[in-house]
Amino acid sequence: MSSEYKQVKRMTSTSRIIHWANAISMIVAIITGLYIGHPYYETLIADGAVDKYVMAWNRWGHFIVAIIFDVTSVVIAYLYFFSRFEKAYKKVIPTTKNIAEFFEVVLNLFTLNRRKKFDSTHMDSFNAVYFLIFHLLLAWMLFTGLQLYVGGLESGISSIGAWWPWLLHVATDWTIPVTGGTIMDVRIAHHYSMWFIVIWVVFHIYYQVWRTIFWKEGDIAIVIGGSKFVKEK
Amino acid sequence: MSERIEGVKKLFTSKSTRVETNRGESYYADLFEKCQARLKELRENGPINRLDFSEVLSENGVDRRDFMKWVSATTAMLMLPPMFSPLVAEAAELMNRAPVIWLELQDCAGNSEALLRSDGPKIDEIVLDIISLEFHETLQAASGFQAEKQLDDAIETFKGKYLLFVEGSIPMGMNGQFGTIGAGAETFYDHLMRVSKDAAAVIAVGSCATFGGVPAASPNPTGAVGVMDVVKGKPIINIPACPANPANMVGVVLHYVLTGQVPELDSLLRPKFAFGYRIHDNCERRAHFDAGEYVEEWGDEGAKNNFCLYKMGCKGPMTFNNCSIVRYNEAVNWPIGVGRGCIGCSEPDFWDKYAYERPMADAKIKAPTGGVEKSVDEFGLGLLTAAGIGIGIHAVASAVAGKKEDGGEA
Repeated sequence: MSSEYKQVKRMTSTSRIIHWANAISMIVAIITGLYIGHPYYETLIADGAVDKYVMAWNRWGHFIVAIIFDVTSVVIAYLYFFSRFEKAYKKVIPTTKNIAEFFEVVLNLFTLNRRKKFDSTHMDSFNAVYFLIFHLLLAWMLFTGLQLYVGGLESGISSIGAWWPWLLHVATDWTIPVTGGTIMDVRIAHHYSMWFIVIWVVFHIYYQVWRTIFWKEGDIAIVIGGSKFVKEK
Repeated sequence: MSERIEGVKKLFTSKSTRVETNRGESYYADLFEKCQARLKELRENGPINRLDFSEVLSENGVDRRDFMKWVSATTAMLMLPPMFSPLVAEAAELMNRAPVIWLELQDCAGNSEALLRSDGPKIDEIVLDIISLEFHETLQAASGFQAEKQLDDAIETFKGKYLLFVEGSIPMGMNGQFGTIGAGAETFYDHLMRVSKDAAAVIAVGSCATFGGVPAASPNPTGAVGVMDVVKGKPIINIPACPANPANMVGVVLHYVLTGQVPELDSLLRPKFAFGYRIHDNCERRAHFDAGEYVEEWGDEGAKNNFCLYKMGCKGPMTFNNCSIVRYNEAVNWPIGVGRGCIGCSEPDFWDKYAYERPMADAKIKAPTGGVEKSVDEFGLGLLTAAGIGIGIHAVASAVAGKKEDGGEA
C-alpha cells in the first residue's frame, strides 16, 4: 500500500516555524486585544495597584506578538518572491491557467469532491489567493495597529531612537484618512479586521481538515512534517 | 472618497506630528531677540483700548505674585524656556494692542461663556478681557445696522491686522439659509468669508468652529462644516474642545502678540503646545488604567477609589488635549477629576465617534452594511456565525455525500 504513495515536500522548516509562530501570536493577539478593547475580566480590588499590572501586561503581550508578526511578515514577503523552494506569487498572477485552476478548486469544494480536475500535488491557486488575503489582512492590522501605537510616542523619542516614531508616522499616518478621518476610525477598523481574521482562520482550519479527510492525501501533515502523500499514477 | 484621497495628500505634505520640546539654545536666543523687537514695536504703537492691565488685575484682586505664577505656568505651557517669562509678562500687558473680531455662528455660545467666566474671573479670563475686542455679536450693546457699521469700521481700521475668532460651525445646507445674521440677513457663510478676507489670522474656537462639532453630528441636517473647510488662503489655528480652554486661547493670542506668528500646528491645525499630547499620558488615573482597575458602574467601589474610567467609555487614550495638565477654570478641575470619562471633545467627529460613553468595542456604530446600528463585536460575531453556518452546511453535506461515494467505491 505504502509503495503506491509518493511523498511530496510542501513546506520548508522555516515556513512551518513561521506558520506556528503566527498561529500562537494570533491567539495571544486576540486574547489580549479583546481585553484592551474592553477589559473583560476584573482585577481584585483588595490588591494594591502596585501589585498588579494587568492592562499593562496585556498591552505588552499584544505589542510583543505584533512585533513578531511584523518580523515574520517581512520574512514571508521576501519568501513570497525569492524563496528557493516555492515562489507563491507565481500562483497568484491571474494567468489563464491560474484562473482555471482557482475555479476548479472552488468547484471541487462545492461539488463535495465529486469533481477534481487539478493537480493537488503542489500549492493550488485557490489557497495561494486565500493566503494572500490573509497576508493583506495582516498587513492592514500592522499598519492600523502601529498607527494606534505611535499615538503614545508624541514626544518623538523612543527607547530605540527618534527614527522609530518618525518611521511609524511616515508609514501609517495614511490609515487615518483612509478609515474615515479620526484616530477612532483607525481603532474601529483595527477591531473589525480582527473579526475578519478570525473568520479567515475558521475557514482555513475547516478547509485543511476537509481536504485531509476527502482527498486522502494527508494534507494536514504539511504544516507539521512538511510533506503530503500523493497516489502514484 | 475624494475627500479621503485629499486627506492622505494633506497628511503626507504636512509636517510631522512630533512635538519638539527643546529646540536648542541658539534657536531660543534668536527667538528671544525677535520677541523683544516685536514687543518694543507694539509698545510704541500704543494701546487700542483704554484698559490698563495692572489696574484690571488689581481690580479683580489679583496681586503681582499670583500674576507671576501665572506667567511661569503659561511660559511652560507654550513650551518656552524660563528666560521667556519676562517677555510673556510683557506680552500679557500688551494684549490690548491686539485687535480681535469675534464671530458667533451656529453654536451654543459656550466658548464665549468660557471666555467670560463671569463668576470670579481668573487671570486667563482677565487677559482675554483686555484684548481689544472690536466686535462680538453676543456681547456688544450695538445691534442691527449699528452693529454692522461697527463691524465695517473695525475691518476698515485694522485691515490685515486683526485676529478673527470664530465660534460655531457654518451651515452649508440650503445655500446656508439655516443661519443668517444682521439686518441684511447675510448667511453665516457670507458673513465669515467677508470678515475673514482681511484678517491677519483666523482662530477657530471650540469643536463646532474647528470640525463642525455637535451641529455636524450625524445626520448633520444643516450641512455644518468647520472654518478650515471653507476659509482658504489664511493662516488658520484650531482650538477645539467643548468649550475651548481659555488657557489655550490665551496661549495662542499671547504667542501671536509675542512673536507675530502662529504657533506650530499639527495636521489638524491645532497648536502643538496644547494638542501635542494625549490626555491619557498625563492623567492622574493612569496608574489605575495600567493596573487594570476600572470603574465598572457609576458609584461602585472603584468609582469611590478614583479608578480608571476606561470601561465607562473614557476616550482619554485617543484624545489629544492638555486638559489633564492645565485643567479648567484655572486648574480647579477637569472631567476625569470629577469622576466621569473623557468624551474626546477635541477630536474631529467627536459626537458620533467618541462621545458614546462606553468602550469602543461596545459602541453602537453603523455597521459597514449600513442600516441598523450595531457594535463592532455584534457585527463580527454575526459574520462569524454566518461563516460557521456555511461551514456547517458544507461539512454535513460532505459527510453525507462522502459516505455514499465511499459506498459506491467499495
